[in-house]
Amino acid sequence: MRTVWIVYRKEITEILRDRRTLMAIGLAALATPIVLSVISQVATKTATQQYTIGYSGSIPTGLDELLRATSLKLVPVADPAAAATRQVDIGVAFKSGEIDEFYDPSRQSAQIADTRLRTVLGQYSAAQAAAALQERGIDPGILTPVRIVAHPLTSPIQAASNAFLSFFLPYILITMILTGGFSAALDSSAGERERRTLESLLLTPAPRSRILLGKIGAVTTISLVAAVAAIGSMFVALSQLSLPKESGIGHITLSPVAVPVMVWVAILIAASFSSVTLALGTLAKTFRQGQAYVTPLYFITIFPASIILFIPDFNPSLAYYLIPILNAVLVLRDAIVHNAVEWPTLAVTSISLIATGALAWYAALRLFTREALLTRS
Amino acid sequence: MTGAAVVVERLEKTLGKNQVLRGISFSAQPGEIFGLLGPNGAGKTTTLRIICTLLTPDSGRVEVLGFDPRTAPQEVRRRVGVVTAEIGVYPRLSARENITYFAQLTGVPDGDLKRRVDAVIDRLDVGSFADQRAESLSSGQKQKLAIARAIVHDPQVLMFDEPTSNLDVLASREVREFMVESKARGKCVIFSTHVMHDAERLCDRITILHEGRVVASGPTAEVRGDRRELEDAFLELVGEVPSPSPGLPPKGGG
Repeated sequence: MRTVWIVYRKEITEILRDRRTLMAIGLAALATPIVLSVISQVATKTATQQYTIGYSGSIPTGLDELLRATSLKLVPVADPAAAATRQVDIGVAFKSGEIDEFYDPSRQSAQIADTRLRTVLGQYSAAQAAAALQERGIDPGILTPVRIVAHPLTSPIQAASNAFLSFFLPYILITMILTGGFSAALDSSAGERERRTLESLLLTPAPRSRILLGKIGAVTTISLVAAVAAIGSMFVALSQLSLPKESGIGHITLSPVAVPVMVWVAILIAASFSSVTLALGTLAKTFRQGQAYVTPLYFITIFPASIILFIPDFNPSLAYYLIPILNAVLVLRDAIVHNAVEWPTLAVTSISLIATGALAWYAALRLFTREALLTRS
Repeated sequence: MTGAAVVVERLEKTLGKNQVLRGISFSAQPGEIFGLLGPNGAGKTTTLRIICTLLTPDSGRVEVLGFDPRTAPQEVRRRVGVVTAEIGVYPRLSARENITYFAQLTGVPDGDLKRRVDAVIDRLDVGSFADQRAESLSSGQKQKLAIARAIVHDPQVLMFDEPTSNLDVLASREVREFMVESKARGKCVIFSTHVMHDAERLCDRITILHEGRVVASGPTAEVRGDRRELEDAFLELVGEVPSPSPGLPPKGGG
């Protein structure tokens, strides 16, 4: 253990004096609030955006008030069909007992305005029908013979927050672990060859397996620091940013179950990634060559997080939890969304990630003891 | 050979498709500077790398202070210090931190660490730049640092592989002086070079390699024979100029 500690301490010292790594950690801390700020602004803009209805004819009594309350602005036009192509978002011709609607489905603003208009018209029609029935002494309840009484088991706003977190948090965690440790891992592996310190290092009686463990430990630590910086800044940003009610994302908190799961999974991913990047870096003769070998890992990390985004209810069998990274994303999603830990999935995930790290460590060790490492020009 | 610090017998090694060593033999004693000479590609570096456990021979035998590098590599590494032309140091560590790191990895006990590092810094006159980051040092200072790093565990065998090739006159001189001083301390110094002038001045005995074979071996004066300089003998042996007279020493006489 003494050798591991000596190498670990030296690597940490060197990494902390390396501008590239410090910049990566700084960017990790800055990037998340910036991305969240952009999301917040876009969400706010979308929720409060006013859409324009070009209309002709007489507006039914009271409907104009309802439309304005839903941020639909009414503008009189001569030809609603012509206006709907460019001048306004949708065109409406009010006729007796009928409304003609003109809109271009290829325009997103037209689709949103159409949805809002239909919602308002539905409410207006129901209100009119109810008033007419009441006038005749009939209970308006007959319009809804089967009433739905909703009993949400969790807060809908909290559910929306969890859905947002279940995508965003694993994505940030995994990419920041990789980004944070990227430079350190290459400096610690390919860098040894590039600055010609490898030969001197291999000439020491220190066991190579322990030298590698020290390096993996140091890169893992830096990766985790980057991830903590990114996630910490994400929560600080979320507490400061005002996301609109309409976006469905309220005050975001992590459940007590999710926190330890996230920490455990982060440690496993960081250690596993560090081993993989060190193994790839050992193959490289220079830092630049190492970058070319390691960069494809980014795509591998983005793909599993995207699955959660596009298939939020993806409910895989236990075998899927053997796939590194995807398993981490799924376990985090389960902990965040369902506020629960399924021990079999966590166990399989842990075994999978530990095995990946161990295999990569073994590969790096084999590479580290190859003569070609020194003789290949 | 009894008392030899390093023994090499019938060493063969192929790297890729190139047979680099073709059965070379020699031995080096404690308290001498032993020259391993040869043109580029003769097999000098490969030989040194086999002795210090970085490469494994295809056949033949190596012994370092009684230890076989193949079966007891850790024991060999504890007893060998290597300085090469390619001076690799950790740029973001200070000179002192570089030396301390290698002292720790070579097993210098924590209680003795500071004293050993300070002693090496004093001996090599590294004190004036000991706390500067290695990235800011000159080539000569870096080479001193490389030597300090190689000897901090007080090895009995010191190997210098073209140690002066990237250095200026002053720095080269300091390296040469250090080799002589190490010899006086009873160390076995193996000096690999193609600079015949340095070899002639420093080496007690030499072995000349050419295309992976020993073409001459023995005391330096004996190998030079009646030629004006060692370089003349070297050029004749490696076939660059025809031999004017017979009488060159036999192979493998070291």
